[in-house]
Amino acid sequence: MLLIFLVLIGFPVYFGFAGSLMGPGDINAYPAALWPRSGAVLRNFAGALDAIPLLRQWGNSVAMAGIITAGQMITSVLASFALVFLPMRWRTFWFFLLLSTMMVPVEAIIIPNYLFISDAGLINTLPALTLPFLAHGFGIFLLRQAFMSFPAELFDAARIDGCSNPRFLLRILIPLSRPTLMALGFWSFLMAWNMYFWPLLVTQTPQMQTIQIGITQLKSADNFNAGLVLAGTVLAVVPTLLLLIFGQRFIVRGLTGGAIK
Amino acid sequence: MIRRRTVMASMAGMAVTAPLVAGCSGGGGGSEAKAPDSGALDKADGETTVAFWHSMDGTNGDTLEKLVKAFNEKNSGKITIKPVYQGEYDDGITKYKAAVQSGSTPALVQIYDLGLQFMIDSGTVVPMQSFIDRDSYDVSDIQPNIAGYYTVADKLWSMPFNTSMPVLYYNKKLFEKAGLDPDKAPETLDEVGEAAKALSKKNDGPAEFGFNGAIYGWFVEQIIATTGELYCTPDNGRGKERASAFAFDNDAAVEFLTWWKKLVDDGIAGNTGRAPADAQDAFKSGTIGITLESTGALGGMKEAADEQDFELGVGFYPRIEKNEYGPVIGGASLYVVGEKHSDAEKEAAWKFVQFCNEPANQATWHTGTGYFPVSKKALDEPEDTKWRKDFPQFDVAIQQLDETELSTPTQGGTAGIMPQARKAVEEAWEGILQGDDPKEGLTKAVKGLQSALDQYNDSAG
Amino acid sequence: MTTTSTDASTVPDASEIPRRKPSRRGQYSSWLYLVPALAVFAVFMFFPLARSFVLSFQGNDILGRPAGFVGAEHYLKLLQDSEFHAVLLRTIAFVVLTVVPVIAISLMLSLLLHQRIRGIRFFRTAFASPFAFSVATASVIFAVMFNQATGVLNGILGTFGIGRVGWITDPHIALISIALTTVWMQMGYNLLVLSAGLGSVPDDIIEAARLDGAGGLRLQRSIIIPLLTPQIFFLLVTGTINSLQSFGQIHILTRGGPQGSTTTLVYSIYEQAFAYGNSNFGYASAQAIVLLIVVVVITALQFGLVERKVFYQ
Repeated sequence: MLLIFLVLIGFPVYFGFAGSLMGPGDINAYPAALWPRSGAVLRNFAGALDAIPLLRQWGNSVAMAGIITAGQMITSVLASFALVFLPMRWRTFWFFLLLSTMMVPVEAIIIPNYLFISDAGLINTLPALTLPFLAHGFGIFLLRQAFMSFPAELFDAARIDGCSNPRFLLRILIPLSRPTLMALGFWSFLMAWNMYFWPLLVTQTPQMQTIQIGITQLKSADNFNAGLVLAGTVLAVVPTLLLLIFGQRFIVRGLTGGAIK
Repeated sequence: MIRRRTVMASMAGMAVTAPLVAGCSGGGGGSEAKAPDSGALDKADGETTVAFWHSMDGTNGDTLEKLVKAFNEKNSGKITIKPVYQGEYDDGITKYKAAVQSGSTPALVQIYDLGLQFMIDSGTVVPMQSFIDRDSYDVSDIQPNIAGYYTVADKLWSMPFNTSMPVLYYNKKLFEKAGLDPDKAPETLDEVGEAAKALSKKNDGPAEFGFNGAIYGWFVEQIIATTGELYCTPDNGRGKERASAFAFDNDAAVEFLTWWKKLVDDGIAGNTGRAPADAQDAFKSGTIGITLESTGALGGMKEAADEQDFELGVGFYPRIEKNEYGPVIGGASLYVVGEKHSDAEKEAAWKFVQFCNEPANQATWHTGTGYFPVSKKALDEPEDTKWRKDFPQFDVAIQQLDETELSTPTQGGTAGIMPQARKAVEEAWEGILQGDDPKEGLTKAVKGLQSALDQYNDSAG
Repeated sequence: MTTTSTDASTVPDASEIPRRKPSRRGQYSSWLYLVPALAVFAVFMFFPLARSFVLSFQGNDILGRPAGFVGAEHYLKLLQDSEFHAVLLRTIAFVVLTVVPVIAISLMLSLLLHQRIRGIRFFRTAFASPFAFSVATASVIFAVMFNQATGVLNGILGTFGIGRVGWITDPHIALISIALTTVWMQMGYNLLVLSAGLGSVPDDIIEAARLDGAGGLRLQRSIIIPLLTPQIFFLLVTGTINSLQSFGQIHILTRGGPQGSTTTLVYSIYEQAFAYGNSNFGYASAQAIVLLIVVVVITALQFGLVERKVFYQ
């Protein structure tokens, strides 16, 4: 049973790697060739690196996801701190207003956002890629739930000791909420890393495109070659795959700490 | 059956007559910009900078940069062309629309073939013809069939820049194995069908599939042109009036799709769907006998053929029957943008367009990218003759272009919603392969487009 | 699986926990902390939402500029357009075709993996590996495999003498192929969440059930799965929203074709606004508003109907 599923689920992964080493004869063979029969071809990788600035696009993706993650952490921490610990009128209203943003699909507002970014002359820049995502309802929700279970006495005690709000936030709350923050960071980074529709719209040059857009451009290139496309894909996926294999325990903790209330 | 006009003759005639009266733009819509005074550049202070938006990446982009660099050096201190890559063709036009709205257009822009009528209707461009007329610019060196595509109501709107054409590619090794003559490409649909039959595994031939091509609306546009029929009416949108209806449910298209469907139904042809890349990839693997593709794919095809150890054959795009008509060109062209640009900028853009058209530069362009040279003389440049020794297959494409007589059908159709029309053809085509009647399927597509076309014409009128 | 009924009552939601009493001091300074998040939302969420709404009542000229109010014309067109009805139905079908299988399969796998067998760690990592693939990377690999003439899937079928399948070229199959790709992509994440949930099921509950004579299937069906319902519900809600928003796999594999058979709501918005030289921002915005309504209604239904059956410990 497990073996059947191993074949079904593992095959696309295997084929991605095997295919990246195949020349056009093997990859298109009928009946199929399941390994590079006519010898492994390394030039697919050279070809992929030559066709698009893959490293640069990697950097773009990291920069974009990093900025978005940092932004979401900051906005979420500040907002949820106020929602939980600070005196506030209409607290419930504010919370649900912030929470309601989770329900709005990005695609429903993509047109005005595109027009806005385009009018502001930001097309094809890093701000265009990151600005709309610097806050997210999920992050606020997640941290609020975590802060709610934070012992209130600790906050009161800190206040009595004359600890200011920012100081409490930086010295006590953030260090003690590290697992939840890491879970949020992981979630934000992944979400940003995998974005496709928005970067497709607001980037134009290969130099500004993210890796996700880059590898699909390989597919539409005039000189299309399946092995080369797969080589690009492998290069794009190896880092996340390594992260998954060696960081699985951490990821699982992040998911349980974060995904489920 | 179709009224034939020799567009080139009238174009050449106009070159020596006085400029057209503004407003008499026919299919071109309302008022339009004219070329500035020819002294505009001299009056300008210092250096004139021209933003140039284009969609050429990879090797094509490098070659473009090379041309720009040469031009900038030659005009140092006077003109600087600043090329900016704007993404693929579709992105380019989306970006241009946004730029018109925010008043940040470039003075020179490359737009794909299907955008012709839209660019005219946008009311933002200075027709190339008005520069040509003003300077009595000699157009005799411009390949007439290429210029024909960008000509509406006897007026050249943009300068052809990168041009390609569909041809037939075949695998000579498989032809030999199947007992066919590898040096003779099949010329008609019937001949392609017969060859494909002999090639295909279904009939104990050497190829997986005798034939496989992409479901690509461009191919239907081609077969209609080669038969001398119209894609849209009146006059393919080339006359005084804008195209007001599509006509691609004509006999040529029906016969072509009936033929294609039969090959697929009989298991002689594959169906790799719409993506040209997928069909290309299949052919490159050496298991497909015949395919249809653009001349732009030649370089990659040849490389793959060498690798897979087969010889690549190139033939004319297949016809229903032989005649003087030929396929339509595709690609993109350069528009000088009038709105919000100084006369000096427009003039500088025109200078660059002229520079690109010089035979030597066209030879550089042709050999660097594999696109057709716009200039006929470019083919005599040593650089070019040497290149064609390496790619003798390209001569077939040149011959195909030369043998086509320019006429309304071979100018190709132009209408405001060409990209949607092409998509509608492709969807009808997919339906036909699923069992729809070819005539009914195409007619349904034509009808389905009418309201969008009316709406476009209303708001552009 | 989410319909597994239990008579457990729902524990009050965290938002109902009594709040600290606000003191009067520092009202304004507390709002300051909300400003960064609110500013981002205002500019990139609330304002665009309002603008989408306004755009949906406007026409466009050929350059995409708003050209006068057309009233509810776009909405009426959506109501009458049989093609748009097909788009809606297809979108729902796609959600069902992705969310149900992905939860069912990953639930089964997580139960299978929750055993002490040698080498189980290898299986866990292997099954989770799709998680490392983004929409783009997964779709590109599947695109190569799906090629009708020369792709490896048909190549394998050919080895067994089975004829070619038009994975993404046959209108009857294409949506299923895209769903298949999506299921594969989502599998890793779902599996990780469920495995994590399973890992936190207290051993004493299982032991107690065992002592009561529950074993094998019964143990799984009546004890373990109910305990996993919070995770399953979470995956159901987020999976549905994700699936409704699928874009990349459709764009890369089929561009909405063949014959529009994979044009979902989101893809239709894209086509109307950005593809094929279109800039029908008004009509596309009306569809965007419909998308918003669909998401809100479905999520509300899930909370209203399904959450009651969730067993919160």
